[in-house]
Amino acid sequence: MKLYEYSAHELSEMLREKKISSVELTKDILSRIDEVDGRVNAYLNVDPESSLKMAENADKLISSGEAVSRLAGIPIGIKDNISTKGVPTTCASKMLENYVPVFNATVVDKLSQAGGVILGKLNMDEFAMGSSTETSYFKTTKNPFDLSCVPGGSSGGSAAAVSCGEAVIALGSDTGGSIRQPASLCGVVGLKPTYGRVSRYGLVAFASSLDQIGSFGRNAKDVALLQDEISGHDPMDATCADRKYNSLYDNLSSDISGLRIGIPKEYFGKGIKPEVAESVMNAVNGLEKLGAKIVPISLPSTDYALSAYYIIACAEASSNLARFDGVKYGYRAKDCDGLVDMYERTRSEGFGREVKRRIMLGTFVLSSGYFDAYYKKAKLLQKRIQQEFTDAFKSVYAIITPTSPSEAFKIGDRISDPLAMYAADICTVTVNIAGLPGLSVPCGYSDSGLPYGMQIIGRKFDEQTILNIGYAHELDMGGYKRPVL
Amino acid sequence: MLIKGYEVVVGLEVHAELNTKTKIYCGCRNSFGLEVNTQVCPICLGMPGTLPTLNEKVVEYAIKMGHALNCKINRICKQDRKNYFYPDLPKSYQISQADIPLCENGYLDVIMEDGVKRVGVERIHIEEDAGKLLHSDKFDGSLVDFNRCGVPLIEIVSKPDMRGSAEAKAYLETVRSILKYIDISDCKMQEGSIRCDVNVSVHKPGEPFGTRCEMKNVNSFSAAVRGIDYEANRQIEVLEAGGTVTQETRRWDDQKGISVSMRSKEDAQDYRYFPEPDLLTIVVPEEKVKMLKETLPELPNAKIMRYSKSYGLSRYDASMIVDVVEKSAFFESAIEAGCKAPKLLANWVLGEISKFMNEGTAITDTKLTPEKMAELVNLISDGKISTAAGKTVFDIIVNEDRDIAEIIEEKGLAQVSDESALEAIADEVLAANEKSVSDYLSGKTNALGYLVGQCMKASKGKANPGAMKEIILRKIGG
Amino acid sequence: MEIDIRHIAKLSRLKISDDELSGYEKEMGDIIAMVEAMPEISDELTVDPDNAMNLRQDEITPQKFSRDEILKNAPKTVAGCVVVPKTVD
Repeated sequence: MKLYEYSAHELSEMLREKKISSVELTKDILSRIDEVDGRVNAYLNVDPESSLKMAENADKLISSGEAVSRLAGIPIGIKDNISTKGVPTTCASKMLENYVPVFNATVVDKLSQAGGVILGKLNMDEFAMGSSTETSYFKTTKNPFDLSCVPGGSSGGSAAAVSCGEAVIALGSDTGGSIRQPASLCGVVGLKPTYGRVSRYGLVAFASSLDQIGSFGRNAKDVALLQDEISGHDPMDATCADRKYNSLYDNLSSDISGLRIGIPKEYFGKGIKPEVAESVMNAVNGLEKLGAKIVPISLPSTDYALSAYYIIACAEASSNLARFDGVKYGYRAKDCDGLVDMYERTRSEGFGREVKRRIMLGTFVLSSGYFDAYYKKAKLLQKRIQQEFTDAFKSVYAIITPTSPSEAFKIGDRISDPLAMYAADICTVTVNIAGLPGLSVPCGYSDSGLPYGMQIIGRKFDEQTILNIGYAHELDMGGYKRPVL
Repeated sequence: MLIKGYEVVVGLEVHAELNTKTKIYCGCRNSFGLEVNTQVCPICLGMPGTLPTLNEKVVEYAIKMGHALNCKINRICKQDRKNYFYPDLPKSYQISQADIPLCENGYLDVIMEDGVKRVGVERIHIEEDAGKLLHSDKFDGSLVDFNRCGVPLIEIVSKPDMRGSAEAKAYLETVRSILKYIDISDCKMQEGSIRCDVNVSVHKPGEPFGTRCEMKNVNSFSAAVRGIDYEANRQIEVLEAGGTVTQETRRWDDQKGISVSMRSKEDAQDYRYFPEPDLLTIVVPEEKVKMLKETLPELPNAKIMRYSKSYGLSRYDASMIVDVVEKSAFFESAIEAGCKAPKLLANWVLGEISKFMNEGTAITDTKLTPEKMAELVNLISDGKISTAAGKTVFDIIVNEDRDIAEIIEEKGLAQVSDESALEAIADEVLAANEKSVSDYLSGKTNALGYLVGQCMKASKGKANPGAMKEIILRKIGG
Repeated sequence: MEIDIRHIAKLSRLKISDDELSGYEKEMGDIIAMVEAMPEISDELTVDPDNAMNLRQDEITPQKFSRDEILKNAPKTVAGCVVVPKTVD
């Protein structure tokens, strides 16, 4: 078995027991990247020299016994909307093609301090707007299970890289499903933590009230390992919760006997491919056999969640992306005729079509005369959706749904039809709207061998329960399978 | 006051920069006049991924002002984004407050010559300042200095309760005075730390309010007066010529003394306010709101009333002292140190002390202490030394830390009040000036002043002029 | 629901060419049609006191960046300032 094929928690032990060195491991991953990334297109930027330097440093920390973190020496990929000092952070946009941050995101600082080895920056939909990684200005990432299919998005690079061994674990961000949906499509495990669990400082904002950084791994344990390193209070982010954090890794348990799990009927009907629903229910039956109590529940406002999501997300995005104006950083159009011309041409040339459409939609729903009919209504609906979850969680500890209504679709199939593309998020957006933690785990494969994913939704700040369920499922029915490339 | 039969209605929006140590949303230094773009960080430059954190002092300062202006404090409130594009606004939105300001529904009593005018205060909210654009003819383009980005501001919005520029000026001066007394703003007009937007409309008494125009770029209180007068007259001229005033935003050009249209109501900016998602709810504990009220110092209006009531000062003199925190503090300390003649003390504060302060010297830059000032004023008031001698002493104790009694002794400044000594002088002078005596007796009363003057001269200034006058009158039997 | 794309583009500081206009009109129209199916809710937005944040203490953070560093991403600078096309007011 090649080193890139091992899990993070296995590698962590091997490093600690000095069976391997981080330099050795990092070289193996870098050669895997050389081998497959020409086909997969997961990375926007790899810097072998700096990765190997970090690996050397990690080896020193480990041999001196100073490395206390399980993460020390493990190669990690980072989504390109997470700020890395001295390393381009493009958000897969022409607008930021040459932008090099002067500061690290809090999560990047945490990873560095833990001795993690940063491999490079991963492709994504432009400014995290998309569900297929096709809106990237630079390249389209391919699904490792079928190179003619999308890897999902927006964290498509992260999911694909972890899936095919171009990274052991990776960071992504999730605003409406951007971790869980690509995790599902690429057959890996992805966790979107509770809103406020992880600092957003240094995450280039798409929709501030919904964005959350989270983890990709090939199994529940790896996700727990990475999540432990990035979670916790940060005084730099006012929305980051100031509360005690207990290690997910240390408390990971596959004992789910007696655990009440809700199955909301709204997530298994219209718009969901029957095969997907079937594979999720099959997994649920497995959980029941392990002792979980399965309870039918209802979340009646689910149908409207996508609308509320697009209004809130686009409204915030229209404001968040207004700073890209050609003044302080990023792209500036050439030969401008005055200030307004500079603004308009910079933004029209610097942003792609999906981003421009969402900016305009957001501008529209906030504009004079429309605020009440759209933005306010969406926020009220959000309140209602939150309440429905709160009520549901009075009787269950977790809720299970499909992650994506279908397996990976073909590249180019939906890119010109926004509504078809948005439909990819119908199962995931509610979780962001309600600020809850959500996990996607592989739960089966289509006839053509494409992965299906099951979404496990938890109570606020209860990542532990959903990871435990994922862990139990994976031990019982198997989870990740390596794609053949 | 009516102009050509029209009443002028004024509302004011005052922006005051707060004198906190750091900016409102980041830990950068909040200071003026430093080299361009040196007081900035990724946060106040709005670099991608950065987030704001709200400075607790900004909230406290705004609540203090809310208490000072008798406002209701919304201890649970939020912040909102005001979206517009301009190069001095790095995020292309300003974090401000929209529908729920920190303070609202207050009032301010403004002391006018003819009584007290109550002006309603609609709201006070917190927000961030923008940077500065620099222009040069040498250069085709504008330069942006971001140092001022994120400097904390409060915006104080009055109700349209002022009638004319005089009330507006008095309101502005009172607001400034309060800001200084509660020590939340430096109020330096020339540094732009206090600025205002002016809303003006005119109407005939008894008729509904006219259409208002908002005037921006009013950079001093005197400019506010000029702007309001100009704008009122402009609107009246429009109406008198049979026209109608259009609602618009105008820009005041103080050099030319005119206002020019910036944008009409139709072109009004659509700021697309919405709740700032990077910040959560502001919740100020009730005890803190209460504590901030209890620790508020005596406010200028109350001081003015107290000075005139307890010390017999004219309102004018009282307000002149109160207007400058240092003068008022010195005045009160001197009284506390035992000064028995507050009115005389006030004259010294507004005279000699103001003289050196106007030249830029603070009282603390001198050797003058409230204790010595009290002693000096008491000596003058008791007739122990003359006013002229007092000035001599004053000039010394401003520059040197010396004992007053010693100075008087050394310079021989003690006033002679001893009857027999004064009588001897009087006798001498009356004998030498018979003509003046007879002039006085024949009704030329100013001859008396001449005689007293001669006596003072003969005493080398040490005679008590009051006592001297009485003796002369007694002797010539006038 | 008709959306005035030109007006919205202007507010967003975007330039939409004539060729692009109909495409955006259709897409935005479709999305608006979808969101208009949201139910009426007779409620008001409120601030949630349970969702309170910590405030920052008023203490200066030492400057970590030189001016050159902080402006190194700016498209155009002169004399320590960012340069933009001349502004009117």
